[in-house]
Amino acid sequence: MIRLLEHRAKAWLRAAGFAVPQGAPAATPAEAARLAAGFASGAVVKALVPAGRRGKAGAVRLVAGADEAAAAAAALIGTEVAGFPVLSVYVEERIGIASEAYLAFVLAGGRLRALASREGGIEIEEAIVSGRGSLAEIEIDPLDGLRPWDAVELWRRAGLAGAKLRDTGALTARLFAAFVRADALMLEVNPLVLEAAGGPMLVGAMAAIDEAALPRHPEWREAAEEAEAWSSGNARERRVAEISRTVPGGECRYVELDGDIGLLVGGGGAGLYQHDRLVALGARPANHCVTPPTGADSRKLKAVIGAILDNPRTRGLLVGFNFAQMARADIRVRSLVEVLDERGMASPDFPIVVRMFGAGEAEARALVAGRPGITYLERGATLDDGVRLVAEQVAARQGPQQGGAA
Amino acid sequence: MSILVHRATRILVQGLTGRQAQSDTEAAIRYGARVVAGVTPGRGGETVCGVPVFDTVRAAQEAHPADASVIYVPPLAARDAALEAIAAGVPLVMVTAEGVPEHDILRMIAAARRAGVRLLGCNTNGVISPGQSRLGGIGGPDPDEIYDAGRIGVCSRSGGMSAEIALTLRRAGLGISTCVSMGGDAVTGTTMAEIACMFEDDPGTDALVLFGEPGTSAEQEVAALVRRGRLRKPIVALIAGAFQERYPRGQAFGHAAAMIAGDADTASAKQALLSAAGVRVAATLDDIPALLAGARAPARD
Repeated sequence: MIRLLEHRAKAWLRAAGFAVPQGAPAATPAEAARLAAGFASGAVVKALVPAGRRGKAGAVRLVAGADEAAAAAAALIGTEVAGFPVLSVYVEERIGIASEAYLAFVLAGGRLRALASREGGIEIEEAIVSGRGSLAEIEIDPLDGLRPWDAVELWRRAGLAGAKLRDTGALTARLFAAFVRADALMLEVNPLVLEAAGGPMLVGAMAAIDEAALPRHPEWREAAEEAEAWSSGNARERRVAEISRTVPGGECRYVELDGDIGLLVGGGGAGLYQHDRLVALGARPANHCVTPPTGADSRKLKAVIGAILDNPRTRGLLVGFNFAQMARADIRVRSLVEVLDERGMASPDFPIVVRMFGAGEAEARALVAGRPGITYLERGATLDDGVRLVAEQVAARQGPQQGGAA
Repeated sequence: MSILVHRATRILVQGLTGRQAQSDTEAAIRYGARVVAGVTPGRGGETVCGVPVFDTVRAAQEAHPADASVIYVPPLAARDAALEAIAAGVPLVMVTAEGVPEHDILRMIAAARRAGVRLLGCNTNGVISPGQSRLGGIGGPDPDEIYDAGRIGVCSRSGGMSAEIALTLRRAGLGISTCVSMGGDAVTGTTMAEIACMFEDDPGTDALVLFGEPGTSAEQEVAALVRRGRLRKPIVALIAGAFQERYPRGQAFGHAAAMIAGDADTASAKQALLSAAGVRVAATLDDIPALLAGARAPARD
């Protein structure tokens, strides 16, 4: 899920034909001042971070003119909001708010839902978080979408009537169609201002889109790159994420942990299982990873292997894959050998245990034969056998003085 | 007996002209699967893997009606391929692709439900009824190396762990009626609970082995059915991923579906819930055979 920053969410909605306030991002107080000077009605300066509930965090400032906008920008830029560094602010025109409502679309847990309330603003966010909110809610059939009469029913339940009900219902059905077209997973409009000149206006908007759909949405490419920059990973983690996104053929993922046994594991399930078993033995993995299918470009697997070997905490490696049903063992082992050679790694003091059987196994065994430190388990060895051996070997090579240092 | 795929199941392969589809299909045919037709738009009239290829599912269905379609197309093409199979009236549709967008998955599931079609996946490597037939690549080039025929039903959220469970059962002299890789996505066309009910109703299955993970409510639904008495055959469950609870929430360590959202969907919570319902929870693969042996005899018959 990629969270869109406010300027991107609003640019998307504006381009899709919805009324949103005028605004633009600013990276400096001077830029913020220049933008605010263009808004006769006053301006709002908000920290541009991929998080909601910014009002509550004091990261939304109402300002009267250019000087106040510059001061607000100076106060926000360089701070941290919801754990994210504020690199820039969003400056937009202030809208006279007569009555504010709340609207959200959510795709989660296999359900598509629309939520609405005639009360918007910070309070409704608080109420939703604490479960006290009274939101009207309807479940949407993915084949039918949110039809205009469904949207009217939603707002009728939320308490609207008359022309407001008619206009807001029509807007909501159009907005849902845009939500689906964009492959969005979440859209929260708060506040939705019902009495703006010219009809309802989307004054606050937060959105998240489906990463899996990126290939059919070139318009989200920049947003995806931006989201990656926000991720809290270290350089090795970010490198794998970037390769995963830019090189074709399945996903790869790499997360560093605080242990010392590198995990190159296949299959979502086998990775979880082997990790559990290592922890049960008192051993501590240095990372978790998700490896791409062997049909993928080999740069993906090599990026994961490189990250594991470059992690200074890694003191040994478990290459643990399920009995291969579709993949070839030699493809993976070749990538491993290439990355080891690139780094000139061939040491009996860096144990590597390989548990990989199936097609291409004879070639895979030949590739590692005679290399110091590598144990290729005999066919028939279990996932647990691999886990036990790597834990033993790494523990045995740790001097007693380093015993509890990891 | 078995569930979902049997010796007589007539199989259609959508995207048969692709590389993975061909190697899986060749192996499936060697194994005894009755593959009757393939579909690739623009390739109608060709013969691939000894099977006639059609431009549309409807044309294939008219010439060689199939009971099941296995779909090998890229993730962004999966929705339309599945909707095509559903519209053409194929009763069972299986989607192998990983990384299908969520809106597409929801539409497929809704369309299948409306049409009364059984949808398996997405993100599954298949279903095998050992000694009879298979859908998809499960078992690889030689399934006999992994899957023995017998009377244990297996349902796994991980395709790879299906093989490890099968090998564990084989070492203990146990065989499998059907092994279902249900798919690793957060939302699947057929749930673990539905598959468990099929095994419950299958006279060829005496007991079940389930492989679960953190995330989703799949295992909780099974526990509820056991408590209600809908599932009465012995069940052994292995739930991996408890290590995740040592780390901050929202971190995805494995399948996208294995992301923990709440307290109820951690591996430990699932283990506790299943255990309280009377399911035997295995800590390791090696525990599974002993737990199956110690389980009470089937209550039915």
